[in-house]
Amino acid sequence: MDQKKKSGFAGFVEWIQSGKVNRRLVIFTFMFVPVTLLIVFTYIPFGKMVEFSFYDMKYIGEREFVGLENYLDVFTRKDCFQALKLSLYYIVASFVQLGLALYFASILSFKTKGGGVFKGFMFFPYLVCGIAVGFIFKFFYTRGFVLDTVLQWCGFELEQLPYWLKDTSINNISVAATSVWRYMGQAMVLFIGAIMSVDSSLYEAAAIDGANGWQKFKYIIFPSIKTIIVLNMILSITGSLSVFEPPYVITGGNFGTATYFVMMDKLAHESQKVGLASAMAVVLLILIIIATMIQKFLERYFFGVGDQEAIRTVRKRNKRLAAEGKLSQTTANGGVR
Amino acid sequence: MKSKVFKRIMAAGFSAVMALSLVACGGGSGKDEGTKKTEVDVKYSDIKVGEDYTDIKADLKFLTHKTDMVDTKFKEYIAEFQKLYPNVNIEYEGITNYATDITTRLTTGDWGDICMVPTSVDKNELSNYFVNFGKQEVLAETYESNMLNNFAYEGNIYGIPSMANVQGVVYNKAVFDKAGIKELPKTPDEFIADLKAIKEKTEAVPMYTNFAAGWTMTAWDAYTDIGSTGDPDFAINGMCKGKDPFADRGDGTGPYAVYNTLYQAVKEGLIEEDPTTTDWEGSKGMMNRGEIGCMALGSWAITQIQAAGDNADDIGYMAFPISVNGKQYAAAGPDYCYGINCNSKGDQQIAAMCYVKWLVEKSGFAQSEGGLSIVKNDEVPDALKSLDGVELIVGNPAPEGEENLFNDINNDSELGINVSGSIPIQIVEETVSGGMTFEDMVKEWNEKWTAAQESNDITLK
Repeated sequence: MDQKKKSGFAGFVEWIQSGKVNRRLVIFTFMFVPVTLLIVFTYIPFGKMVEFSFYDMKYIGEREFVGLENYLDVFTRKDCFQALKLSLYYIVASFVQLGLALYFASILSFKTKGGGVFKGFMFFPYLVCGIAVGFIFKFFYTRGFVLDTVLQWCGFELEQLPYWLKDTSINNISVAATSVWRYMGQAMVLFIGAIMSVDSSLYEAAAIDGANGWQKFKYIIFPSIKTIIVLNMILSITGSLSVFEPPYVITGGNFGTATYFVMMDKLAHESQKVGLASAMAVVLLILIIIATMIQKFLERYFFGVGDQEAIRTVRKRNKRLAAEGKLSQTTANGGVR
Repeated sequence: MKSKVFKRIMAAGFSAVMALSLVACGGGSGKDEGTKKTEVDVKYSDIKVGEDYTDIKADLKFLTHKTDMVDTKFKEYIAEFQKLYPNVNIEYEGITNYATDITTRLTTGDWGDICMVPTSVDKNELSNYFVNFGKQEVLAETYESNMLNNFAYEGNIYGIPSMANVQGVVYNKAVFDKAGIKELPKTPDEFIADLKAIKEKTEAVPMYTNFAAGWTMTAWDAYTDIGSTGDPDFAINGMCKGKDPFADRGDGTGPYAVYNTLYQAVKEGLIEEDPTTTDWEGSKGMMNRGEIGCMALGSWAITQIQAAGDNADDIGYMAFPISVNGKQYAAAGPDYCYGINCNSKGDQQIAAMCYVKWLVEKSGFAQSEGGLSIVKNDEVPDALKSLDGVELIVGNPAPEGEENLFNDINNDSELGINVSGSIPIQIVEETVSGGMTFEDMVKEWNEKWTAAQESNDITLK
């Protein structure tokens, strides 16, 4: 009896150690935790949110199914898409941010005095929590505080300076500047990583050929890291569409700084229009997907993905080849005639 | 190749989903899961604190908005209470963003035992979340009946107020003296004139709006009710059922007069230079030191401002400067109310009732916070004794079937009256940046309010 049981257990061990089962077991156990987390904290809430967007509901109380009414509201309300215009400020800021990051990355990738310290300083803001950054800048921009004091050292009079957060012509720029400060270091580190991976013999070869810094950047660095540049651009633009922390903490969305997300938060938590806010979130998701697809297409068209050639290059070549073919054909024809 | 691109787009899409699903996190619904309610056979009004159930064993969790007191005053309360009920342990959890966070916590059903009931729970939902404290007429034998209205539904009470506030204006007596103000203002015009005097004769900011904090602006909403009309039924008859409630009533009363006072003050430059960078914590000390003339805040703020410096005696309290037929009114109303989780175990509910009763009747919490106690004939705190000649009125409850009316219209209109203070915020914004005129704003509010009234099928009076 005992023996039989043992052999049964041994059989089980053997079965579980057999290649096919073992492999699947490993896949399953490794996947289990992350997939569970992903499903529980991302897809289930997301599914719920999509569900909510079809209801007229508050957090507490009865729900009423209203079909697409919330979506109609999103598109007919003036303020929803007005808020998206603010994203332009953040998109411009993200390009400034990428430009600066690229500049510093190309300098700091090579031997620079105190390079490590500079890298550290520039990356540091990324480690500070977004809410804290908000509070830092709230005081930074306060009348007569840090920024005004520094500018006064530079010779400005306090009367000449604007109210950084009150003046509606510049307050969005002030707020967007904080995200440049925060994310520039992160983009820079990504770029440095990409530049490091470029084969250094290319630089030597270029140096022998007498290339200057700009030429090195244009012909070696840029083509080698274009994938990471595009990735950063996509992240920045999708990020620009969904800015939340800076305006929420610094201005509370007042004085015309309420971005789409801040509006959503206000509708959901202050007016208890949970359905409408969920619909806004779904609409934004679709917009972000569209923006990403457009960028992806442009990337394929102008730069190509991985080893694949850019569509534009291929097309130009085909055209040229076709033209040459035609030309040679006509000349050939002419020859016959 | 195509599928590769597709995959990448999907990946980018999903990462966007992750960012977006933050919004949905708040959306769990307690109703779906079918909460387990425990009925207890003990009546709140029958409990004699310190005599009944003294050997009860329970661990209570208490969610509170008073984050500053969790480690100080509340510890003392627990120690005091445990002298009577040695086997009851109480753990306080302070929530900074209380008003919004508690709503989400409640939906889980498993949030603790005692909390401050948020206004976002509709009255007909109260019994799904909170223990019934008993009939209003029974509780009214010891408590001021009208103070219990906030969370009364079909005659039952689901929340007991921790204290009651008066809606007026905190001012600095020293600053007012220096500006030569002999008598407190009784009309908006006098008030504006006084603010101008402060601006001319002193260094102080005449009126500090505390704009950046946001929630502080709701004080202006609170005046529009009884303080500016003297009518205890104004919320339901004037706001919910009145035609264009924000319109000028011509006699210097009503919501128009209140908001116009703020508008005038902003327009005349009688507020701080840069409203976007005001600092609430700092403003208390500034007021105490005489750098601020006055602030629009409920009476709960008095003790905090007195404690923020050495000049506690300079801090005074006055009614909002509007007179109706020569008489000033101030709204008195309950602050946050204690509610007990109806899903807690029986013993915990009983222990929670004992603690709530002790807090309301024996702890002296209301007086120490500068508020009125809801217990009949209880002591009035010193700071409010100055409101002589001002009639304190508690709002009447909405008639049966219309308990949610104000909330519904308010939410639909997105004006956030008493919730977000978006009207006073808009006034400051538009006036400072030179946008809309006051008349345009009034028109906009009336339009929004009327549309919300229509969508709730209101017949106007």
